[in-house]
Amino acid sequence: MEISVVNLKKYYGEKQVLDIEELTIEKGKITGLIGPNGSGKSTLMNIISGIDLDFFGTIRYDGKPLDRSIYMNMTLVFQKPYLFRRRVYENIEYPLKVRGMDKGERIKKVENIIKRFEIEELREKKAHRLSGGESQKVSLARALIFEPKLLLLDEPTSNIDPESIKIMEREILRFNQETKGTVLIVTHNIEQSKRLCHNIIYLENGKVGYLE
Amino acid sequence: MDYILEGFREALKLLISFDKEVYDIITLSLFVSTTATIIASLICIPLGIHLGLKEFKGKRAFSRILYTSMSVPSVIVGLVVAIALSRRGPLGGLNLLYTPKAMIIAQTLLVTPLILGLTYSLSKNRGKEIEKVGTSLGAGRGDIIVLTIKELKLDLLVNVVTAFSRAISEVGAVMIVGGNIKNRTRVITTTISMMNSMGDYPMAIALGLVLLLMSFVINSLIYTYSGED
Amino acid sequence: MKRFLALSISILLLFTILVGCKADSGQDVGEPEEEVVEESTEPAEEETAEDEVGGRIILSTTTSTQDSGLLDYILPVFEEKYGIEVDVVAVGTGKALQMGRDGDADILLVHAKESEEEFVAEGYGKARFDVMYNDFILVGPKDDPLKLKEKFPKDILGGLKTIAENEFTFVSRGDDSGTHKKELSIWKEAQIEPAGDWYLEAGSGMGDVLKITDEKQGYTISDRATYLNMRDELDLDIIIEGDENLFNQYGIIPINPEAFDDDVKGRINEEGAQIFLDWILSDEAQELIGEYGVEEFGMPLFVPNAK
Repeated sequence: MEISVVNLKKYYGEKQVLDIEELTIEKGKITGLIGPNGSGKSTLMNIISGIDLDFFGTIRYDGKPLDRSIYMNMTLVFQKPYLFRRRVYENIEYPLKVRGMDKGERIKKVENIIKRFEIEELREKKAHRLSGGESQKVSLARALIFEPKLLLLDEPTSNIDPESIKIMEREILRFNQETKGTVLIVTHNIEQSKRLCHNIIYLENGKVGYLE
Repeated sequence: MDYILEGFREALKLLISFDKEVYDIITLSLFVSTTATIIASLICIPLGIHLGLKEFKGKRAFSRILYTSMSVPSVIVGLVVAIALSRRGPLGGLNLLYTPKAMIIAQTLLVTPLILGLTYSLSKNRGKEIEKVGTSLGAGRGDIIVLTIKELKLDLLVNVVTAFSRAISEVGAVMIVGGNIKNRTRVITTTISMMNSMGDYPMAIALGLVLLLMSFVINSLIYTYSGED
Repeated sequence: MKRFLALSISILLLFTILVGCKADSGQDVGEPEEEVVEESTEPAEEETAEDEVGGRIILSTTTSTQDSGLLDYILPVFEEKYGIEVDVVAVGTGKALQMGRDGDADILLVHAKESEEEFVAEGYGKARFDVMYNDFILVGPKDDPLKLKEKFPKDILGGLKTIAENEFTFVSRGDDSGTHKKELSIWKEAQIEPAGDWYLEAGSGMGDVLKITDEKQGYTISDRATYLNMRDELDLDIIIEGDENLFNQYGIIPINPEAFDDDVKGRINEEGAQIFLDWILSDEAQELIGEYGVEEFGMPLFVPNAK
């Protein structure tokens, strides 16, 4: 899914936190979003994901305005994952359930992704009792399960163990290659952006500057 | 002083011997208050969650009115229901006054603002994050409400029990609309009140003990259950 | 946080219930008691006026004397004359007698002759004196479905028999009050044991019972005063009246301090009670009783008959 942002302005009270004249996120590519703390990265992610609707300007998804079908085809993985108070299996299954997929197919898909993320031993655990790295993996698996056309990741690998990071990066790349899904990822880690991203957007004080 | 001890002794005798009148009264109390709490919960929990999440004009004023109405005195509710259901009232044709149905209606109205207010406040404070995650995973409006209820179920349960305790321990509304008729509309609180004015303590003490015991049991259950998580 | 919430809710609930219970029993018993201790232990010897005695007595009586407005009519005259304040605790006869047994009242004005005589025999009361009587009436739906008014205008026993035979709705006070006892004694006189779906025991005061009767369109036995006070709001008529069985004698009983331990004895205002007793049996008080209600209802509500 291609995202085009035009004349986006966002205020918190009097303070302007985003001022983007034009920005395009390329379809089928992994785009990194970097910049110092407080530059507006998370705010931009919330706006693109359709969670924050309180802004001025236009955002188009493959040329169309936000509607229910677009909501159904994109997702945002938060910096601090919120997992539901139920088992890991049910957490990952949730997006398929709200899409009305039948049970047999759901089981196949969930089992498959659990295997790929190497979290078989977490399967039956209560999700709200997991460690940080475990939670992030489950949270990413839950986002990828329904193969969104746009995947938004807000620092998904900060403060977690290297082994988990490796798995997550591998799955992000695989998702991008296999489904041609567009990815926008906020990261502080230059090495990570080199490993993953085709393009990089640099955000400072709510304004955009392109980098190589 | 002797009559107090005597009262306790007689009270225990009534309880241990499974005195039919005492247990009928307890059963009716539980039935009326439980039914009222369930009806109010079924309506108010989804509604409260929805209103708490939704942004709308005048939400602040709405909150204030809702929170104030949470403590509406039970006699006022009883009075309003009695006026509505009396033979000369607008709903007089239903012939409901002085029946358990009227008591259920009154208690439902009594706990409705309580459950709605508690749910609304919970949803307003804790529901936003759940809504965000749900939305980002493709949940629709109905899915979000169901999801929020499931996520907050322990807190909601505490709210429901609070409402139930209010219902079962109130005397004003059930006395007015029920009339405290023997074997029909007599519940724990109205009996205690009546027995006191009759100077007949044993049954009042027995029922008082039961009421206390119920509060203890329910609340310690909730406490244990919510402590687990 | 949740633990805390649950715990505070539990404590709050428990607290509410405890406070509720306390308030219930404290209202009519605890407060006046303390005041009596203060007032009655110092007889007012320094009073200057001849008749003024001062102090305070607790009159435990039935709701009917209070609700009918009689006490509000006659008591100010007494208080003015003797400087003794009368605290009225209006409860059912059962409770009134219980207060007497507990030493929580100085004098009783009730109407259940058998229980009263038993009370005196037990030693709690010094003696019992007739004060006045009122009468009860059978009230029922305006259209009188059982046609009792035609068949038994002055025969309560016949009326009750017909109601029982037809299993027609009858609302009883069911609260152990004097009126309730009176009703039961009339059923007994009619040799009927009222029971069944048609016989509703309300466990409430006269006003509530009249409302329930109105709502269910049944019959009930009421004191005349309460009915007259409420008749505008009721679709009920007087069906049977004037039967001797419906007369209701009020008696007054001063409490006997000798029946109690020393600490309770000290709280009982024997002197004040004696003055009140003498007054209510006097011509002055009897005349007041006889004129009450004439203005408003065209007939006296109570007929004085002290000897």
